[in-house]
Amino acid sequence: MNNASDLEYRKPMQWGELDPYRRGRTHVGMWAWLLQRVSAVFIVVLLVLHLCFTYKPYLQFLLLLAVALHASLGLRVILLDFNLAKISSARRLVPWTLILGVAAVVIAWFAIY
Amino acid sequence: MESQSTRTVRIFRYDPEKGGEGAFQTYKLDIPDPNTTTILDVLLRIQKEQDSTLAFRFACRVNMCGSCGMVINGREGLACKTNVCDLPAGQDITLRPLNHFPVVKDLVVDMGPFFAKYEDALPFFEPLEKRTEPYIIKPDDPNRVDIGMATDCIACGCCVSSCTMVDNHDSYCGPAALNRAFTLLADTRDALFEARLTRALDSCYNCRTEFNCTEVCPKSISGTRAIKYIQRLALKNLKSVRPLPPHPAETAAAHAPEKAAAAPETPPPAHPCACGGVDASRRSFLKSATGIVGAGVVISLGAVLGTAAVGPTLNDLPSQWVDAGKDKDFPVGKIVSVTLRYSRTQAFHKENKQFPVLVRRDSEKDFICFSSICTHLGCAVTWDELSNRFRCACHGGAFDRDGKVIAGPPPSPLPRLPWKLENGILKVEVV
Repeated sequence: MNNASDLEYRKPMQWGELDPYRRGRTHVGMWAWLLQRVSAVFIVVLLVLHLCFTYKPYLQFLLLLAVALHASLGLRVILLDFNLAKISSARRLVPWTLILGVAAVVIAWFAIY
Repeated sequence: MESQSTRTVRIFRYDPEKGGEGAFQTYKLDIPDPNTTTILDVLLRIQKEQDSTLAFRFACRVNMCGSCGMVINGREGLACKTNVCDLPAGQDITLRPLNHFPVVKDLVVDMGPFFAKYEDALPFFEPLEKRTEPYIIKPDDPNRVDIGMATDCIACGCCVSSCTMVDNHDSYCGPAALNRAFTLLADTRDALFEARLTRALDSCYNCRTEFNCTEVCPKSISGTRAIKYIQRLALKNLKSVRPLPPHPAETAAAHAPEKAAAAPETPPPAHPCACGGVDASRRSFLKSATGIVGAGVVISLGAVLGTAAVGPTLNDLPSQWVDAGKDKDFPVGKIVSVTLRYSRTQAFHKENKQFPVLVRRDSEKDFICFSSICTHLGCAVTWDELSNRFRCACHGGAFDRDGKVIAGPPPSPLPRLPWKLENGILKVEVV
């Protein structure tokens, strides 16, 4: 132990530091998580805009899309949290819930307009 | 010399005697058969043939010991389990030590923090009862099925390296330790259920369900599944969960002066990275940051919602057409007083209004509607046939047939209201 402390360790490497292939080989669950966080930020911004400028179809569509993406990925996490979907289906759930979310957006959009 | 099978190998080098940040060093190596060459073979050959100073760990070579965990082309894995052909075509072989652990030399990391967290999850079995006979557990026992292959963990550290949350939360034990806790929590023979659950819960809510640990595990264990299992277990056993005693680091700040005076030889905390090692300044920062962000959200949302709720009352009131009566009721050449009764909706408020108007009919199609509210102080104006004028009883104001002021204090003529005839009914526009 004393010998080891004489050596100077390099500080721990961070996720993605000096890691040229990391981003290209990131797994889908990571992207799902990131998309959900980004959509959450978009929801807050778009919701404020939506309340300030009501009945702007472009804004409404973006808000609907952000909410749908956030909700569908949230449903995936709920399914996994409560063991309603098999943990081995985690990867498959990402595209499926997103497809359902976007389908809901399309249906809602054409039902309104 | 350079043939088709020559591959470029980039290896992260860090020399503790020189220090610094470390950097990649490039080697060229002939790999005739990528299908049967593991990354560990590559490393051994480079060490033997090209650079004897290269440092890396390995022991069993057969995916059993977990010594050779490293980041191979952006993904954690065991060097002995990953073949060169497993890497995407066209990428150089890029080897780098695991994340989140201090680097000792080249690809060798200090696994101290890993095992400190591992120990904190109480990774040992404590029997509930003394037995001399072995337990008989059938393969279809629900506990046995739940635990599954999760006991196969070889503590290689790949999951902790791939997890993006371990580094953001000092108190997070990481997938390996929580997986170990899960195997024992799901085991009904174990006596330390409450203590272990309390410790696991202290960190298991830091999981963000990214599945990075599941994707990289060389033993195909799902750390996420273990963490989710513990979270569900906590829901079922809420009463067994008790708050942990404060960590020494938390009380240290309060007692720092007296401690320094009384007991300077106090042993330091076991390991700086151990679970629960949240220092007081970080906690207070988090508290204040949460407060500021929360206040910002409340203020912005409150402003927006408040404006949405109150806004309509600030706008101009919407006007509406109200029936004044059949046109037969208004003789030509006369002035008739009518009271309009209607309800007015303003935001969430609804009110029944009575609004008196004076209707002058000049011919079959010509009407003039005056508001019968005096422009002086709002008293009711009436038509006086004898003096041929509108009179206000309050302060003696008087208006002529066209509503112009002819006497008294009123500052402006009687306002005229828009009107229309629809199916023989006179309608007046009011607000």
